[in-house]
Parts: sequence; C-alpha cells; structure tokens
Amino acid sequence: MKKYNKITPEGTKDLLFEDCMAHRKVEAILSKSFSSRGFQEVVTPGIEFYDVMDPEVSGISPEIMYKTIDRHGRLVVLRPDSTMPIARLTATRLQNLPKPIRLYYTQAVYRSHPGLTGRSDESMETGVELLGASGRRADLEAILTAVESLSKCVPDFRLELGHAGFFRAIASQLPISPEERERIREVIESKNYAALNSILDDLEPSLPVTAMRRLPRLFGGEEVFAAAEPLCVTEEAKEMLDYLRSLYQDLAALGLGSRLMVDLSLVQRNDYYTGIVFSAYAENWGDAILAGGRYDNLLAHFDAPMPAIGFSVSVTAVAKLMLKQGRIMPVEAPEVLVFGEEGYEMKALLFASELAEKGKTCENSVFASLEEAEKYAALRGIRKIALVGEGVSYQDVPFYSGSRNEAEDGRKTV
Amino acid sequence: MKPLRIALTKGRLEKDTVELFEKIGYDCSAVRNKGRKLILPVGDRIEVVLAKAADVITYVEHGVCDMGVVGKDTIMENGSRFYEVLDLGFGKCRFALAGPKGKNFYEGFSEKTVASKYPNVTRAFFESKAMDVRVIKIEGSVELAPLLGLADAIVDIVETGSTLKENGLEVKEFVADISARLIVNTASMKLRKREIEELTAQMERAAQPEGGANL
Repeated sequence: MKKYNKITPEGTKDLLFEDCMAHRKVEAILSKSFSSRGFQEVVTPGIEFYDVMDPEVSGISPEIMYKTIDRHGRLVVLRPDSTMPIARLTATRLQNLPKPIRLYYTQAVYRSHPGLTGRSDESMETGVELLGASGRRADLEAILTAVESLSKCVPDFRLELGHAGFFRAIASQLPISPEERERIREVIESKNYAALNSILDDLEPSLPVTAMRRLPRLFGGEEVFAAAEPLCVTEEAKEMLDYLRSLYQDLAALGLGSRLMVDLSLVQRNDYYTGIVFSAYAENWGDAILAGGRYDNLLAHFDAPMPAIGFSVSVTAVAKLMLKQGRIMPVEAPEVLVFGEEGYEMKALLFASELAEKGKTCENSVFASLEEAEKYAALRGIRKIALVGEGVSYQDVPFYSGSRNEAEDGRKTV
Repeated sequence: MKPLRIALTKGRLEKDTVELFEKIGYDCSAVRNKGRKLILPVGDRIEVVLAKAADVITYVEHGVCDMGVVGKDTIMENGSRFYEVLDLGFGKCRFALAGPKGKNFYEGFSEKTVASKYPNVTRAFFESKAMDVRVIKIEGSVELAPLLGLADAIVDIVETGSTLKENGLEVKEFVADISARLIVNTASMKLRKREIEELTAQMERAAQPEGGANL
C-alpha cells in the first residue's frame, strides 16, 4: 500500500519562513486596523453542520465543500466560508447584544477545487461583519474600513463598487421564467455578450431588454452612471443608481478617485448580497483580493432578521503581493549566538533571556564545543557569539573555512 | 506600459487570429517568423503567447495572460472562470453524438458506453437528458472505440463528417455549436478596461464577414 506520509494533500501547503511571516504580517496589520475601529475578534469552528452552509442560501455549491459525517451520522463540512457561521453565531448567541455588532475574524476556509489547477483548497481569510446596521453610514464605514486596511498592505489597488439589486430590478421587468433568468445571470456574469444577445433577441424589444443588453458593459469609471441613467427601468433602480453615485462621490472626495471603478453587472451566484457590493483588484493578481457587500436577508435564515454588511480579504493573495512588491523583509538571522562554557549552561540561558529582554534577537548554542558553535553560527549567518563563562565576552564569528557546498547544504537544512 | 498579453491556441485558431490582427493593421511579422519562440510581440501594444487550447484557459484564469483565443469546445470541457466577450466566428464546427450507421443509439435498456476526448461535455449532455451512460475517455481517434466494440457511440467534434463516414459511423444528434471565443481574465478586464475594450471592438469589427450586416 502506498503511504502518503511525506506529502500534503493537493491544494494544501506548508508555509515556511518568509511566506509565513508575510501571512502573519498581513493578519497583524489587518487585525489591528479592524480592532482599532471597534470590531471584536471571533473564531468559529473549523467544522460546521452542512445545514449552516445551505447552498440555497449561501450559494456555495455542495461539490466544493469538504464533507464528512459526525458520530451521529449527521453531515458536517469543513468551513467553506466565514460569513455563514458568523450569521449563525450572531443570530443565536449574540441575539441580545445591543446593535450594531462589529465582528472580525482571521481563519482558514476550505474549498475543494478541481485538481492540478494550482488553486488552494485551504486559504486564509480575514474580514469584518457589521451586523444590525443598515443605511449609508454603515455602508460607508464598511467600505472605508476596507480601503484603509488594505492600503496599509498593498497601497496600489483598485476598488470596484456595484449594486446587487440593479440586475434584479431589470430582470423583474422582463417576461422570463426563473430558468431563463438564471441563464441570463450566467451569461452576464461571464460577460458573454454574444450569448446574451441571442437570448434577448427572442424577447419583444423594450426598455428592460435594452437595459439588460447593456448591463454587462456598464462598468468602468464615473461615466458609467450617466450611461446607466436612461436604463433605469424602475424607480427602485434609479434610487440604487443615485445611491451608488453618492457613495462614489464620497469616496472620490477622499482622493480615491483614480482608483475607483463601478460595475453594475456584478451578479455572482454565491450571492446573498442584497445591496451594495464591492471588491478590490491589484496588478499581478488574477482575481479579487477583497470582496464584500450588504446582505440584509441572510440573518433571517437563522431566524434573527437584521441588516448586515461585511467583507473578507484573501490573506494569501495580499501576502503574496506584499512579498512580490518587496514589502516583506527577508527573515534575518539572530544577532547573537550565546555559548555557555562547560558548567555555565544555565548562566548562558539566563544571559540569552537578558539579551532578549533588551530587544536583541539571540539563539542559545546547544553545542558543547566553541568550534562547533562557530561553525554553526557561520552556517546560520549569525555574526556574533557571546561567550558566557565566569564573565561574558563577545567575539566575531570567524569566516567559515569549510567547503562552499557544505555551507549551502547546511543552509538548506537549517 | 505593459503590453496586453494574449494567449492563442496553437494551430488553426492561431493562424486565423493572426490574419484577424493583420486585417486590423497590426504587424504580425514576429509571429509569422516565430521559429521556436513562444512569446512574440504583435505591434507594440500586444504580446502573443502560443499555447495548447486547455492551457490558454489556465493562463487566462490565473491572470498571467490578460486575454485568450480558444475554442468553445475547450471552454465547455474545462469550465469558465473568466469573461467570454466575443464569438470570433472562425474555427466553426460542432459537437455531435455519432454511432454505427443504421443503429439506433437510444434503443433498448442495456447500459450504453460512450467514448470521448471530452468526458465533461459528454457527461453534461447525457445529464441534461437524465440518461445514465458509461463515459470512457479516449485520447486520440475516438472513432476507433465503436469500431473495436468498446463503445456504443462517441461524442466528438465534427466538421465535414467524412472521417465518420469512412469508418461506418454517422451523426446521431448534434450536441453544440463550436467556434473560437475571445476570453478575458476578470481582474484584467477591470484594471485595463480601455485597452481591452478597444482591442475587442477592433477584433469584433474585423471578424464581421466581408460586406456582411453589422449586428
């Protein structure tokens, strides 16, 4: 039987040194940013009942969830999303807290992707949820929190705004079946203009048909608002557009102008979103690095109706971008190797603690001879050795005279 | 400014796309005399990458190429996490279900076996008919499978149908129309909208049949 004891499952990986540091740094920056705005951290279980993730509500298709069965034969899944568990948590245990409730999380999500496509099944996400608040103030807070937090990691991103209701408003004015509506949604999602036209050609020409035809092209800068104006088929659609424009202008006034985009055709399937939606894109990353929006109907599925808005950031994506952009310094070797002479082992350890207290990075030598300690320090790139005996003296690490190969091999295994 | 990077499916689609580019007025001499190079400049704003069909999708999905030209057959088989903005109108053919001449594929209740280079397309086609068939993946000359008795039918790309005919097979049913599509990475579409829309519009105009009505 083949043993899989030396590899990790496809879609997962070990995070080493710089990668790990980059992840932790992104998490630290974003956590600090969220908590300084009054968001409180929660952790939800890695395993949840399948029912919490109900595909009808979450839009997460059953095929991509890692499933297993608990002791009582009930279906459970590895958390594929953090918003659903947080909605569950808020609707049950936090029901009686004064609103709004501000929560944030940093945890992995698990999604099973088709093999060999290079996508991760396990990815780290961090995000906020602002629950029990509706309206303009809450929307602005969520977007601004997203912008400010992300700016601290990758300043050069583009922010895209949309409204989940715009498609619905137009679709409601078309004489189509739910199946046709889904088909239209699909082709708009993939901006498949040709397929959209051929579906709409079967319908009587009307303003809603024209609006639907134009919808996938309604993205870009501020000019989109003017282009969309004549296509507002209902009073509601007009209100949405005006609202979106006012948010756009508020954000533009912050100096975000050149980095703002609008897309009125954001119609993802995993769409519990009901109002504004937003996402962020950066150069050299083929997908959104941040995504969020308003989901006013989700909590009702857990019997605690309340409006809510939130977003999540792909820590993995942001960490990789920060590494690429040289925003993460490589892991440095400790400054000092502390070597205790025979009989002074404990004193050496305590001296290392003292150095650490003072903010110096140091390592304790586990080697019994100074020669071995010197060799190790040279391999590891540590510049100084502190000799601890009766007293303490420092020496520079002599140039390592062993063969170059040995030094390189050593670095690999260290 | 970084050039727009377009992945082209090597072979016929590459040729047709290059002709299209030349019709628009781009200098394609580098692609025409490419030697063994795989990344080539077209004009000064475009960079062409030559790849196998399924890889075009992979490169575009990951965003290492902004756009791609690939057959609808490959899109149907490999799924889509990108924008499919234009039907280029060339590379036209069809997916069809074919089997031994004169034999009714749908007859009887015994288990049916279908061979195909496109197992996902085949599965989806029979799922839409709520039919439970055994799908076997074959890499080349799928026509062999029914001849050798491995399969009752095949799902494959049919252009003229002459290969089928010569091997005693005939089309039983059309599955889907196929042609070349222009696809765009979702993030690129947002970040480089103007360049991409401009090129798409140029390609759309150039792809119109000569003197044909503009839709």
